[in-house]
Amino acid sequence: MPGFKRLPEILAGFFGRGRPLDQDIHALRQLFRENYRKFRALLTANNIALELMAEMEQTLNSGRPFGMTFVRGRCTAVDVNVFKMIQRLQELAGGRYGGLTEAFNVVSGNLQEILDRQPAVVDCPFVVGFDRIDKESADLVGEKMANLGEIRNRVRLSVPDGFVITASASRAFLAHSGLRDEINRLLTICHTDNLEELYTTSAAIQQLITKAPLPEELEREIGNAYERLADRSGHRLLVAMRSSAIGEDSGRASFAGQYRTRLDVDEDLLVETYKEIIAGKYRSQAIIYRLQRGFRHQDVTMCVGCLAMVEARIGGVIYSHAPADLRSPYAVVIAAQGMAGQVVDGSSDTDMYQVSRRADHHILAQECRASPAGEPILSAAQLRELVDAALRLETHFGAPQDIEWAIDGQDRLMILQSRPLGQNGTIPQESCQRNMAPGKDTLLGGGVPVSPGIASGPVFIVRSDLDLLRFPKEAILVVEHPLPDWAALLPRAAAIISETGQVAAHLATVAREFGIPALFGVKGATSMFHNDQIITVDAAAGHIHNGRRDDLLARSGRQPDLMKGSPMHKVLTEVLRHITPLHLTDPASIYFRPSSCTTLHDLTRFCHEKAVSEMFSFGAKFHFSEKAAKQLVGETPFQWWVIDLDDGFAEGFDHRGKFVNIDQIVSPPMLALWEGMTAIPWQGPPPVSLKGFGAILFQSTMNRELDPAVRSGLTTRNFFMISKNFCNLNVRLGYHFALVEAHLSDLLTENYISFQFKGGAADQGRRFIRVQLLRNILEQYDFRVEQKVDALTARIEKKSTDYLVPRLKILGYLLIHTRQIDMVMDDQEMVGKYQRKILTDIDTIIAPELKETRI
Amino acid sequence: MKQSLNILFVDDEPDFLETALKRLVRRGYGAQSAACCDEAFGVLETGWPDVVVLDVMMPGKDGIQCLREIKQRWPEMAVIMLTGHASMQTGLRGLEYGAGDYCLKPIELDELLEKIEIACKELNG
Repeated sequence: MPGFKRLPEILAGFFGRGRPLDQDIHALRQLFRENYRKFRALLTANNIALELMAEMEQTLNSGRPFGMTFVRGRCTAVDVNVFKMIQRLQELAGGRYGGLTEAFNVVSGNLQEILDRQPAVVDCPFVVGFDRIDKESADLVGEKMANLGEIRNRVRLSVPDGFVITASASRAFLAHSGLRDEINRLLTICHTDNLEELYTTSAAIQQLITKAPLPEELEREIGNAYERLADRSGHRLLVAMRSSAIGEDSGRASFAGQYRTRLDVDEDLLVETYKEIIAGKYRSQAIIYRLQRGFRHQDVTMCVGCLAMVEARIGGVIYSHAPADLRSPYAVVIAAQGMAGQVVDGSSDTDMYQVSRRADHHILAQECRASPAGEPILSAAQLRELVDAALRLETHFGAPQDIEWAIDGQDRLMILQSRPLGQNGTIPQESCQRNMAPGKDTLLGGGVPVSPGIASGPVFIVRSDLDLLRFPKEAILVVEHPLPDWAALLPRAAAIISETGQVAAHLATVAREFGIPALFGVKGATSMFHNDQIITVDAAAGHIHNGRRDDLLARSGRQPDLMKGSPMHKVLTEVLRHITPLHLTDPASIYFRPSSCTTLHDLTRFCHEKAVSEMFSFGAKFHFSEKAAKQLVGETPFQWWVIDLDDGFAEGFDHRGKFVNIDQIVSPPMLALWEGMTAIPWQGPPPVSLKGFGAILFQSTMNRELDPAVRSGLTTRNFFMISKNFCNLNVRLGYHFALVEAHLSDLLTENYISFQFKGGAADQGRRFIRVQLLRNILEQYDFRVEQKVDALTARIEKKSTDYLVPRLKILGYLLIHTRQIDMVMDDQEMVGKYQRKILTDIDTIIAPELKETRI
Repeated sequence: MKQSLNILFVDDEPDFLETALKRLVRRGYGAQSAACCDEAFGVLETGWPDVVVLDVMMPGKDGIQCLREIKQRWPEMAVIMLTGHASMQTGLRGLEYGAGDYCLKPIELDELLEKIEIACKELNG
C-alpha cells in the first residue's frame, strides 16, 4: 500500500521542521483521505458481518426451515467480510496486527471443516439378500429394508422374498458419470420457495439420473440377483421395488410417501425402475420435506428393495396403538381390497377396526366401507392374527408400530413394512371428537379429522399439477384425493380438505408432522367451495365455517418447530459456535488482543475497536492542524470535541481556529444525535438516597474496573469523529462509557446505527437495572439489543436515513438523560417513573417524524 | 464518481445475464456482457467499463485466474465476484487478489447495485 509506506517520512518531515510545508500537508491530507476510505470499507464489512450473524441466529431459533445452501452461503459471506475487515485494518495500521491473520485462519479452518464434513460411508456389496439383513444393516440397506430383514430373521414373521440394492451401489452410480456434482449444483442455485423453479429443477435432476447409464458391474449384479430370486420362486417373477433411504431418523420424521415404490416390475424394466427410484429422492415433495425437516440432501442415500410381488387379496395398515392415543388399549386396523398402497395413497374406501390388545383380541368397533355391501372384509381370525403380529413387532422394536401388510390368495399374512408410530404423527385424543353441534354459519359438519388445528384462508382447489404451481401462500388446499404428491404444498397451505382418505394416508401423516389442520372424507368438497372463498377449518371438531372466525382461530395452538434437533439445525448450531460468541468485550483488558480472538465476532469487535483508534490517533495525536479536534461551542453542561475525518465541516470553515459551531457541522448523523442530546435540558443528577450514595462510594474504592472500557486516548474527553455521512461519538460521562456510531447515505448496505453502553458508578445491581431500562426502550424502537450484565450493545442495519434519524435522536436523548440514574435504580417504582418520563420525552423529540411516518 | 457506471458482466449463464442487462440499462446504467475471460479483456481494452462483475465458475479460465489477470493489467479496476457456489476458500482468495466483494447468487439487483457502487467508492473514493 503506497499510503502507509509514506507515512513515516511525512511525519518525520512534519515534526522535524517545526512547521510543516504545504506539500507535506497536501500529502498528509491525501493519506488521510485514503485511510478514511479504508476505514469506511471496514465499517461496511463490519456492518454486513454483524447483520449476517444476527440473521443466522434468528434463523436458528425461528423454527423456519433452511438448507445447506443457506448455511454455506451465510458462513462464506461472514467469513469473507471479516477477512476484509482484517485486510483493511492491517492496511490502516501500516501492517501491524499480523496476529489477526493467524487467528482468522484458525476460525475459518474450523468452519470449513464443519461445512466439508461428509456422512460416514460404509462399503458393502452392491446387492445383499434378505437372508443376510437385520437391523444392524441399516447403514447399508436403509432403515426400511433393515427392519424388514429383522422381521424375517429375528421376529420370524413372513416377509416377501427378495434382495436390496445397497447404498454402495447408488453411490457408485451417482459418482459414475459426475452426477453428484451436477445435482448439487442444480440444487444450490434453485429457489425452493418458487414452486415452478422447484419443479423444473426436480424434473431436470430426475431426468439426469434416469438417463445416466449404470456402471456395468452394478447392472450385472442386479440382473444376477433377479435371476436367483426368479429361480427360487419357480414361476415368472414380478417384483415390487421400494425405496429405503439412509440418513432418515424415523424416530423424528416419517418421510411418509415422499419416495417411490413401483409394483409389478419385470426383468426388462428392472434397471429403468431402479434409476427411477433413485431419482425419487429428488421428487419435489421430497426436496421440500427434507428442507422443512432439516435434513441435508447429501446425507440421504437411497437404497432399493426388490421384493417378490405378493398377490394381495387384502392389504392395509395396522397401528399397534391408536395413532390418536399411544396408550390406547386397542390396535387400529385399516384395510382395503388389493394392495396396501391404496390405503396410504388415500385413493380407495377402507374398513377400519379397533381391536383389543388383550389376549382375546376382540373387535371393539368397526366401520366398513371397503366392500360395496358394507360387509367387513377381514374375519375375526384374520384380525387376531394381525394384532398378534403387530404386538410381536411392537415388543421386538420396543415402541408402538405402524405396519403395512398384505394377505395373499392362500390367506398368508405378509409384513411389507414396520416403522415406529411417530410422536409427531399422533392426534391428541380430545381433538378427535367429531360431529359437534354445528353453528349457524357452519358450512359443514362431519369429515374425518386427520390432523388437528384451526386455520382460516381462501380456498384453492387443486386438481392438476398446473393448479399446484399456482397455489397461493396460506391458502386452504382442497383436493379430491389426499395424494402424497400434494405434500409439496404443505409449507404453504394453511389447511387441507380432501374428499376421500383417512388417518393413515401419507398426506395425513405429513400434515400432522407439520402441524397443519386437515379434514378428510369431506364428500363433494371440490364442488362445494370455489376458489378465493374465505373459510375457517376447525379440523379437530370436523367443522368448516364460512368466513374468517377469529374466535376459533384464537384457540389454535402453535406450529411445531420442525427444525429443532434436525441434522441441519445441528450443523448451524455448530458453525455458530465459531461465529457469534463474543469474548472480547473489554478493550482495556490485557486479553483484548488478536490471539484471544476465537470467533468471527471477536475478530469483528477487535478490528472495529482498533480501526476507530487508528483513525482517532491519526486525526488527533499528530496535531495535524487541519484535522485536529475542535471544541464544540454550544449550550450543554458537558464539553465536546469534534474531529473532521473528511467533509463533516461546512465549506469555508477556517481550520486554524480551536472551536467549531454546531451550525458549521454538515454531518446529518451528528446533527441528529446532537438534536436528541439538546432537545430537553438535563435536570442535573438525580437526588441520591443515602443507600445509593453508599453504593457509589463503595464501588469507587473497590472496583478498579470503574475506569471504563475505553482506550487512554479517548478517555479524557468526549469526541465526535465525523464526516458528511458518518459519526462516531465516544462518551465518557461520569463513570459510564458509551459509543454511538452511525452511517447515513443513500446506499442501504452502508447504513447503520450502533450503540454500546457500559459501566456506571453504582453497584452492579443498579447498573444492571439501568441497562435493562435502556434495553426495554431501545427494543420498542426496533433496535436489536444484546445485553451482558451491565454492558449493552444495540444495532440497526440497512435502513433508510428517514428510519435512522429519529433513532439517532433517541440515542442522543438517552446519552444525556440516563446519566447517573443508575444511582437511584433501587426500586421498581423509581424505574417505572423514569421509564414513563423517558418515553414521554422521546415522543416529544421525534414528534415531527411520527407525523411523517409511523416509526 | 461518474453519474452512471458502466458495468461489465463476465458470466456464461445467458439467462441470468439477459434479464440483468435489460434491467440495468433501463435504469440508466451502462451494461455489457462477456461470456468468458478473454472476451472480457477485449472489452476492458476499450476502456469502457468502470466495474467488472465476475462469475467464479466459467469454462476455460476460471474466475479467480481471470481476476488475477484483470488486476495485473488494470489495477484500478473494481471487480466484484458473483457466484452460485458458496466457497469460503474461493471468496478469501478473491479478496486477496483484490476483488472488492464476493457475492452469492441469487442476489437482488438492488443489492448487487449497492455492492457495485460501494466497491467503486472503496476503490476510487
